[in-house]
Amino acid sequence: MTYPLPMGRKFPKISVDLTKCTVPYLCKKCLQICPMAVFHVTRVMSKERRLEEMDPRVDSNYVIFAPRRDKCTVCNLCIDVCPVNAIKIEVHKPEKAKVETKGVQWGQQE
Amino acid sequence: MCFLCEQFGDTKQGKGLWYLNASNYARNMYKLRAPGEGFKGAEVGLETGARSGPSIGDLINAAEKGDFAEYDKIQQAMLARGQGSQVVPLEDADKVLELSSPIGLIACICRKDCRAIDERNELEYTCMGMGVGMLKWERWPERYKGGVKFVNIEEAKEWNHEMDRRGFVHILMLFGAPFIGGFCQCDYPDCGALRNAVDFGVGPIKGHYVASVNYDKCNGCGICAQRCQWGALKFEVTNEKANVDLFKCYGCGLCQTGCPRGAISLLDRSSVPAVAEVWR
Repeated sequence: MTYPLPMGRKFPKISVDLTKCTVPYLCKKCLQICPMAVFHVTRVMSKERRLEEMDPRVDSNYVIFAPRRDKCTVCNLCIDVCPVNAIKIEVHKPEKAKVETKGVQWGQQE
Repeated sequence: MCFLCEQFGDTKQGKGLWYLNASNYARNMYKLRAPGEGFKGAEVGLETGARSGPSIGDLINAAEKGDFAEYDKIQQAMLARGQGSQVVPLEDADKVLELSSPIGLIACICRKDCRAIDERNELEYTCMGMGVGMLKWERWPERYKGGVKFVNIEEAKEWNHEMDRRGFVHILMLFGAPFIGGFCQCDYPDCGALRNAVDFGVGPIKGHYVASVNYDKCNGCGICAQRCQWGALKFEVTNEKANVDLFKCYGCGLCQTGCPRGAISLLDRSSVPAVAEVWR
């Protein structure tokens, strides 16, 4: 059995505010800028609407989430590029309490 | 022999390889998904891709906890759910295309999910569906939103060689074992299958070959190192040659087809004792 993931490491937690991010399939800025492609965009798949043609221009037909957050380096490119400020990344810092990054550039003081 | 060959191979044809066993392409092997099975809908949750059961997200959570036993359990469950897939080099891919009919080019769902790339016409398609399952397109065209382009064997081979030239790994997929139904063209990090294999150990199994470099012919141009999607082949600075880590090598053959001097050859995996049974 192989363990490709680093066991015991705390990965960043990425949350996307779906009330702000409503047309991700048209915007797709974060999807295309992420160097490690941690984001996924998918249709809302309910049983009733499974076979429907989903118009990406209609609000909330598509949703965005971050299934591959193990590869997130918190470079904040997605936060900078997001036009509606919907993305938040929580970084685990062992010595302090949890800190939210607010789109601060690397090396810059908060 | 990998477990797929043991289950689905035929020693009388195709050297016992499961994907050269013509009966695995037969239309009566194809099963329509039973009603109520498969995708469960949004209520199951986004992280699972609307499938029931454990997901990549659960694997990441288990790794965060450092829980090896739980990681094992989730990995086993995901492997049991997967229907099986294997990396196939270009030479074998040509033989596969001769066995299957019909062949349809379609839009890649992984690149759509991961980078929101819409492949809306036949020049952009980077995925291939094979066998009688593709005829579902006539009945449910809404399931193939980018459309389908049916091609003959020669066109399919030409397309596959073009994909190889661009640098995609060929991964053959079972759709309802033992029916062979799809041929993915993958790269890292966009492709789900390839990424699951490299990052999580739940993807396709390695191919029946490993790459080997002839140091007399290699001039250290580094083209093969650009083409390796698995992190197995690197440029060794000390002696200015390509260097393959056979334990990471998946035998996709991209380095071989890319080498301008013919310095790389594919060996049978069984001929290298240390990696003969390394399938993941």
